Amino acid sequence: MAGRSPWYLAYRRLRRNRVALGFSGLFVAIVVFVGAAPLWANHVAGTGPNATHTTEKVEVDGESREVVNREGRPIGPLWLGAGGKFFLGADGRLGRDEMVRLMYGGRISLFVGFLSTLIAIVLATTLGLLAGYYRGWADTVISRSLDVIWAFPVTLLAIALGLALATGGLQVGPLDLSSNSLWIPILIIAFVYTPYMARPIRGEVLALREKEFVEAAVSQGAGPLRVMFGELLPNLGSTLIVFFTLGVAQNMLLESMLSFLGVGVQAPNTSWGTMIGEGFELISTAPLLTVIPGTMILLTVLAINIVGDGLRDALDPKSKVRIEARTGISESQGTAV
Amino acid sequence: MARFAVRRLAGAAVVMFAISLIVFAIFNVIPSSDPAVSLAGKNATPALIAGITEEWGLDESLPRQYVTMMEKIFGGDLISYEGREDVDERILEGVPATFSLCIGAAAIWMFFGILFGYLSAVRSGGLLDRALTIVAVTGISIPVFWLAAIFLNYLTYKTQLFPSGTYVPFTESPFEWASHLFLPWVTLAITYIGIYSRVLRSNMLDAMKEDYVRTARAKGLSERHVMTRHVLRNSLAPIVTLFGLDFGVLLGGAIVVEGVFNLDGIGLYTFESLINQDLPPVMAVVIFGAFFIVLFNALVDIAYAYLDPRVKLGESAQ
Amino acid sequence: MSASLLSVRDLRVGFATEGGLVQAVDGASFELAAGEVLAIVGESGSGKSVTAGTIMGLTRGANTRIDGSVALDGRELLDADEEELRRIRGARIAMIFQDPMTSFNPVYRIGAQVVEAIRAHRPQVGREEARGRAVELLGVVGIPDPERRVDRYPHEFSGGMRQRAMIAMALALEPEILIADEPTTALDVTIQAQILELLREINRERGLATILITHDLGVVAEIADRVLVMHEGRIVERGSLDDVFYAPRDDYTRKLLGAVVRLDRAGPLRPARSSAPLLEVTDLVKHFPVRKGLLFDREVDRVRAVDGVSFSVAPGETLGLVGESGSGKSTLARAVLQLLAPTSGSVRFEGREIAGFSRRQMQPLRAEMQLIFQDPYASLNPRRRIGQIVGEPLRLHDRASGAELRSQVGELLERVGLAPEHYHRFPHEFSGGQRQRIGIARALALRPKLIVADEPVSALDVSIRAQILALLSELQEEFGLTYVFVAHDIGVVRQVSDRIAVMHEGKIVEQGPADQVCERPADPYTQALLAAVPVPDPRESRARRSSSAS
Repeated sequence: MAGRSPWYLAYRRLRRNRVALGFSGLFVAIVVFVGAAPLWANHVAGTGPNATHTTEKVEVDGESREVVNREGRPIGPLWLGAGGKFFLGADGRLGRDEMVRLMYGGRISLFVGFLSTLIAIVLATTLGLLAGYYRGWADTVISRSLDVIWAFPVTLLAIALGLALATGGLQVGPLDLSSNSLWIPILIIAFVYTPYMARPIRGEVLALREKEFVEAAVSQGAGPLRVMFGELLPNLGSTLIVFFTLGVAQNMLLESMLSFLGVGVQAPNTSWGTMIGEGFELISTAPLLTVIPGTMILLTVLAINIVGDGLRDALDPKSKVRIEARTGISESQGTAV
Repeated sequence: MARFAVRRLAGAAVVMFAISLIVFAIFNVIPSSDPAVSLAGKNATPALIAGITEEWGLDESLPRQYVTMMEKIFGGDLISYEGREDVDERILEGVPATFSLCIGAAAIWMFFGILFGYLSAVRSGGLLDRALTIVAVTGISIPVFWLAAIFLNYLTYKTQLFPSGTYVPFTESPFEWASHLFLPWVTLAITYIGIYSRVLRSNMLDAMKEDYVRTARAKGLSERHVMTRHVLRNSLAPIVTLFGLDFGVLLGGAIVVEGVFNLDGIGLYTFESLINQDLPPVMAVVIFGAFFIVLFNALVDIAYAYLDPRVKLGESAQ
Repeated sequence: MSASLLSVRDLRVGFATEGGLVQAVDGASFELAAGEVLAIVGESGSGKSVTAGTIMGLTRGANTRIDGSVALDGRELLDADEEELRRIRGARIAMIFQDPMTSFNPVYRIGAQVVEAIRAHRPQVGREEARGRAVELLGVVGIPDPERRVDRYPHEFSGGMRQRAMIAMALALEPEILIADEPTTALDVTIQAQILELLREINRERGLATILITHDLGVVAEIADRVLVMHEGRIVERGSLDDVFYAPRDDYTRKLLGAVVRLDRAGPLRPARSSAPLLEVTDLVKHFPVRKGLLFDREVDRVRAVDGVSFSVAPGETLGLVGESGSGKSTLARAVLQLLAPTSGSVRFEGREIAGFSRRQMQPLRAEMQLIFQDPYASLNPRRRIGQIVGEPLRLHDRASGAELRSQVGELLERVGLAPEHYHRFPHEFSGGQRQRIGIARALALRPKLIVADEPVSALDVSIRAQILALLSELQEEFGLTYVFVAHDIGVVRQVSDRIAVMHEGKIVEQGPADQVCERPADPYTQALLAAVPVPDPRESRARRSSSAS
């Protein structure tokens, strides 16, 4: 007869949160959308995200129109007028298919957002566990190092790194990355985000460490690894999940800003941020080139934030105590046996 | 108290030194290409590159390079090869605009953030709370630069509701100053209103469960009195700390907002330098910006310690 | 019957929670006469605190259902609007709470918080005048130097002083009723005695009707005129103090009285032991450095938590270690087990010196000495199943695995009174008492020789305490265990210990056979400690008070 684990209780609470469920559906839809990029590119639009069509023409309702006209103005959204080609129009003087770019760009935006946050969480957890468990000398070294990076304004640091590495590429030991490698923005974002998460994780480890069940493990002869991974880490689980989710949202916004400024994702890769950067130049003549990628970012980040909030409410045991908020008189003893 | 202040400032000095080392590492050490080439910018000629190598001491030892770099930046000797101008001078010129932008936006977001957070907490669970939460979450999810572009296009270009063009100094015309800054202020403030209202709401909800709130009610204080003088008062402290941190992110936001709205401040200068991949201005802005934030945070911490009796007396009690 | 000041009829209070409707109070009726002290006794979940809070209207909320009647001087309170209730709170009915540290707002001065109470009801009173009143009140409750203390912050007061300040604040507007919710539970026993004395004095001199909520029958015997016993939301017994204590009519009351640990009852006699000591501690010292400095932390002072302690424990015996908070007993327990590295001194286990052993050196010895913890909620990892928790020590020391492990764990669970089928359950699915049993099973798993129990029953209800103590006793017999029993409650300690050591400020001030220490204490501190323990026997209690008064 299995007991009801705290995870299961959280899952039940989450299930009742219809708003969070709705937005997670939206998120799934977006993932499906960008996942379909190769399908769309190959079977509908017949072109790739970087293929230019400056001097070409396209058939629309029997009429032949220029993709980019003589003044340099790109064609607007054709929707299904040309069988799906240039569904959202062309993206400026280079005449690339905006819809195809949107889908491929989305893949990159999501990929960079997720991977950078994942790396940051793993690093932050390791550092937080080591610093919080061992304290003393190890803690001082780790904390001071993180403090310095953390004191550096996040965006300025990311911008500085982005600029330096975008012009120079990165060669550290066995690591050789050219200046347009996707790993550069991923590592930069992971690097600036790690201290931001390591601090609260360390704080929680310090608090958990004082709990008697940790002392119990030590008194039974459990070694540091056992305590860190068997006792501390499982109790960090909910915090990590919430941090990860909200972190992806934050980092997608950071990546898009860096890419907008030209120091994030580099050509030939595209992200929604770079698309906004390119579209901005034509904002008065072709505003959709700016509006659409930005809306995609907004919808995706909004969905992730709402789901993240829902997860936090579901995982946080305080949600039960919330009922006591106005009374201050404890009533939860109803379960005493 | 004085002891705390000295420690904090000393700590800040150490951090600033470490930051200068990091900036040095970022620009001179980490990239695999020749720093002289990167510094020269787009119009690099072999002669220019050689000249830079000598001027910056790039063929000398790393510590020497570091010292040279710091001398150039802090000595007012820094030149952008791209734009052929003195970097530090241009940064100083941009201060009024950036200052006006940041302070104005901060005032707006603090006011509305606290107001919305307070209302959300006091009427938690109700319709107002839900509406404000939606507003807040949306605000947090909008890319600032994109919102700026949207505002610019639809509220300035297309509809002429707000003036376009550059920064107008306050001394010239307060009204023009404000109307040119209005959209930039709102753009910057929206994200933070969202963050602050949610943080305050969360802190207040936590504070409401505290024992001293129960005591306050039991004493017969009015609900309003309890909410403001006990709950709000004890929830504001973390907001102050948060503000210190966020000012750093604000600088990043200022770069894109000034860039999009074409406000002649430090942000715009940085924006252009980034687009042109011009290193010297970015180096200077990054160092000055970071230093400013570290100092600002140290002062905030000292002020906070002054206000919180537990910290103030921590050293004399016992 | 004379008109009662407060009249409660058929009170029902229910809360809507995640798990359904919880009926905290299920039909309570009683009266409070002017000037009397009414004690409401019960264990956790009895509904006593909720009843008190509902009188003040503090339990009102969206998720609360309140029915019945609460009338103050004839005026119905349950349907009064917020403004009317607000005027009553503090002015006609005042309430003090259990934890004075968290009950004051840490960022305002004590004086300011008292003034706040005064001016909320009498806005015409000027600041200076209100402050003067606050100083006066602090003096009345026995706080020395009130002129200066009034401007201090809560954290600058000691626990006892803070509670006095709370009482002062409650008296500010001269209320007719004082509700005290577990006012001394968080205080040391010597301070508790002082606060109870203060409450008695206030009741006598001002004729202030008092409702005292408590779980401690000793406290009730010291101060109450009439008693109500609550159990699961209902009042199961009511009557005068002597009636309830000497002629209880309800089974639950009898059970409660039976479970109460009395200091003057000796524990079961056990044959004296005279073999080589299992544990020998000599001159054990544990100091914590206090670091301060301008840029670099230098040690400026030391906290002398354990300051030269010596004792020994023979195999199979129980040594009781008694001390109030800050006495160093918990630190001592951990220093002995090498969970904290001793600063100096010797600890010999089975003749072997173990003081200063590294983690690796201690590893094999860990199986011989185990710890039982105080807090049943924090001592079990909430994310693991109890079967895993109990089996962990066996796994760590490679004693068993797989099916063998499960069967051993099952046996252990059964031995402590739990069902082996509950292997898969999580800690939050058990009550406090059951969790403590799980902790005991865990400590027992490796068949240790020595078990150090750190306040194992302090966080449990009175009726559960007796069960756990009985369990510990049985296990000692069956497995030949040696106990070091650490607690602040000397009554509990006496019941289980063969020998007792009394700790005060890091030193052992007295040790010897339990009976001798409790009946013929030699040290003044021990004497004061024993004198302060409230006796759950009204006649005894009165006798003691009149003899100390004369």
